[in-house]
Amino acid sequence: MIEALFIALSPSYLMYMTIGILLGLIVGTLPGLTATMGTALLVPFTFALPTGEGIAMLGGLYVCAMFSDAIPACLVNTPGTPAAMATGFDGHPMVKQGRGQEAIVAACFSSALGTMFGAACYLLLAWPMISIALKFGPPEFFWLGIFALTIIGSLAGDSILKGLAGGAIGLLISCIGISHATELNRFTMNIPELRGGVSLVAALIGVFAVPQVLSMVLGLRKQEYIAEYRAEKGVILKTMIKVLSKPIHFLRSASIGSFIGILPGAGSPIAAIVSYNEAVRWSKDKSKFGKGNIHGVTASEIANNSAAPAAMIPLVTLGVPGSSPAAVIAGALMLRGLNPGPELFATDGVLVYSFGWSMFIAGIVVFFVGLLATPLLVKVIKIPLRLLAPLIMFLAIIGAYAIRNNIFDVYLMLAIGIFVFLARRLGFHPGPIGLGFILGPIIEPSLVQALYISDAVGVQKIFFSGTINITLISLSVLSITAVALSRFKARRAAKLA
Amino acid sequence: MKIKLETIFKGALTTFVGMSMAFTANIAFADYPEKDITFIVPYSPGGGSDQMARRLQPGLEKALGVNVRIVYKTGGGGAVGFSELHRSKPDGYTISNVVVPNVILSSKGDGVGYKPGDFEYIGMTESAVGALMVPKDSPYQSLDAFVAAAKEKPGMLTVAGVGGTGADRWGALADILGIETTYVPVSGGVGKMMPMLAGSHVDAGMTASNHATKHSSIVDALVVAGTQEVGTLKGVPFEPEWSYVTTWGIMAPPGTPADIVATLNAALNEAASDPSVADTLGKAGYNTIIQTIDEVNALMDAQIKAYE
Repeated sequence: MIEALFIALSPSYLMYMTIGILLGLIVGTLPGLTATMGTALLVPFTFALPTGEGIAMLGGLYVCAMFSDAIPACLVNTPGTPAAMATGFDGHPMVKQGRGQEAIVAACFSSALGTMFGAACYLLLAWPMISIALKFGPPEFFWLGIFALTIIGSLAGDSILKGLAGGAIGLLISCIGISHATELNRFTMNIPELRGGVSLVAALIGVFAVPQVLSMVLGLRKQEYIAEYRAEKGVILKTMIKVLSKPIHFLRSASIGSFIGILPGAGSPIAAIVSYNEAVRWSKDKSKFGKGNIHGVTASEIANNSAAPAAMIPLVTLGVPGSSPAAVIAGALMLRGLNPGPELFATDGVLVYSFGWSMFIAGIVVFFVGLLATPLLVKVIKIPLRLLAPLIMFLAIIGAYAIRNNIFDVYLMLAIGIFVFLARRLGFHPGPIGLGFILGPIIEPSLVQALYISDAVGVQKIFFSGTINITLISLSVLSITAVALSRFKARRAAKLA
Repeated sequence: MKIKLETIFKGALTTFVGMSMAFTANIAFADYPEKDITFIVPYSPGGGSDQMARRLQPGLEKALGVNVRIVYKTGGGGAVGFSELHRSKPDGYTISNVVVPNVILSSKGDGVGYKPGDFEYIGMTESAVGALMVPKDSPYQSLDAFVAAAKEKPGMLTVAGVGGTGADRWGALADILGIETTYVPVSGGVGKMMPMLAGSHVDAGMTASNHATKHSSIVDALVVAGTQEVGTLKGVPFEPEWSYVTTWGIMAPPGTPADIVATLNAALNEAASDPSVADTLGKAGYNTIIQTIDEVNALMDAQIKAYE
């Protein structure tokens, strides 16, 4: 393993990895360009390189995109990739309070730490972690999805009912298209483009970017800029201390992120959501979340970044990629005649470990690249709204189009955006709707599969037995009760007053 | 008046130049391909179709001289990707994997929007017979043990397959073996099935035998389809009555011009004949296929009839 470290530290590894990281910075910042697409576009260029350098470059792009997607999430409330949705919940309020630099530095530092944690798991704990991950079957995935949905309780704002309705709308929209398990056409209204379902990326751009632009335009007479911003001295060090002052918060977010990253099919977006939810649960002052709490940003960023190296664990232990970018990296290996899987440890062990080390080092490089880029990036806040609004709209349209090269996705993005804008005026929070989009594709197929299995073994046994199921159900019930209780108390206090 | 004549003359000249440009543009169409080609993979990353696309990608790019971009359109046992291809422009710039018989079986779904006879088939490159596989630590280490257990408790054993198409194929083997089990459809593809097997969330899985070769650290094959042993799965019994063969190839949207199909067929065969591709296929437990367009069309006609 030490030999692998020296290989990962060789100049050529570091150089190609840094190139990957710089590309990742661009890919993650632009909504619509996801880490999957970025790595897939880069694969042909890695053919000219030796295998190790090639995958280090792809890995660098992947982990950096998991950081840089926080930039648009914070600055303009539009996540760069689905994984940064939870980052924006607190990141954007921070920017609005004039703490733009602090938000970006927090995202950058926690991303770096998260990446290093995930890479350490990959290097040290790959086998024990995968043996736990394998215990996740269809019913466990179903309950994980339900548990992640309980975050609605902390997102919903003034009305829990509107939060639930928003989540349901998101879930229903995610059902559009040919069903996952059997070839059944649902809610497609004879529009052929809808058969493939609503594109998650386009839908999320619609949920977040379009309402943002519309409210910018409406508020133009009152407001010239997104927020006040002035550079502050010493903010970098102060922010780093703030992040480091909560070691338990870090460990919790990073463990959740790495573990969910391992589960094939779950990936960074769900890791970030669950981690954010847990940060709220364990916090003493829950009311601060969603209003610019720095730990909301770090919870999401630590988790989605530690999930990225962790998604490589099932690839090297089982031969099954844990996320779509991991699948692209698997493809890059297969094209070189390498069969990603447990055999790779035996035949190319050095490659497996040097990849882990380069992801670890990538964490450090991301931090410095991020710090260097921050002063430049926060200048976005200084763009007057009359220029910024059309710019965001332009990027939103490009992004929605680029994800599938389909103009229909642009119309859909606009329609969803206008809908969410109107819903927001009625007091709906866009978060639960986006949550439904992300969780639907996890919850629905696993529910269907679990129901099929229940034909053989019975509903009670499949859904309500097993340690993981019971734990997830208890946590979900606990979440819901806690929300109900705190709302009940708040209401009584309001009555008494 | 003179000026007016000149204007008319200029107008006529412009029209002429315009028309001739349009005409040359028409001829330039023969220079296909002149931009990147999108390659739809209708199953999830890491599955058989994904591997095939990635294996052929460099060869296709070399033969065609443009980039081939791989995009995933997964769901509905492949129906999502197939229907996406079906309504793509038939200009040769969008192609897709085709898996036979999945493309035929999935078209029977309600309103999926395509018929297997609609597409322009470019060629098949590999095939593999079906296999029934169990997790490494399964209590059923032989076909006899599995059949005995299934007969003892009918409907209690779970068998995973891909989408609704897998149900058909599993049903055929279950009938031959005379057993009754519970079928569990996996969405997306084999990439999602292997973790379910590795974690013993289902009792068995049924898919093409090449996956049993690739994932030999996770699963053991109990039986394969066809009349002979599979080279990479020595000692696994074969079932001659079970005619499950999966064939992989490439197809284009309905109405793609014949010359473009011919160009793609030539490029595909060049990519598939590459020694490294053939070597990988052999080691992975596939049969390699090189086909002319007539051969692939004959194969498809026969397959469509067989599944009617």
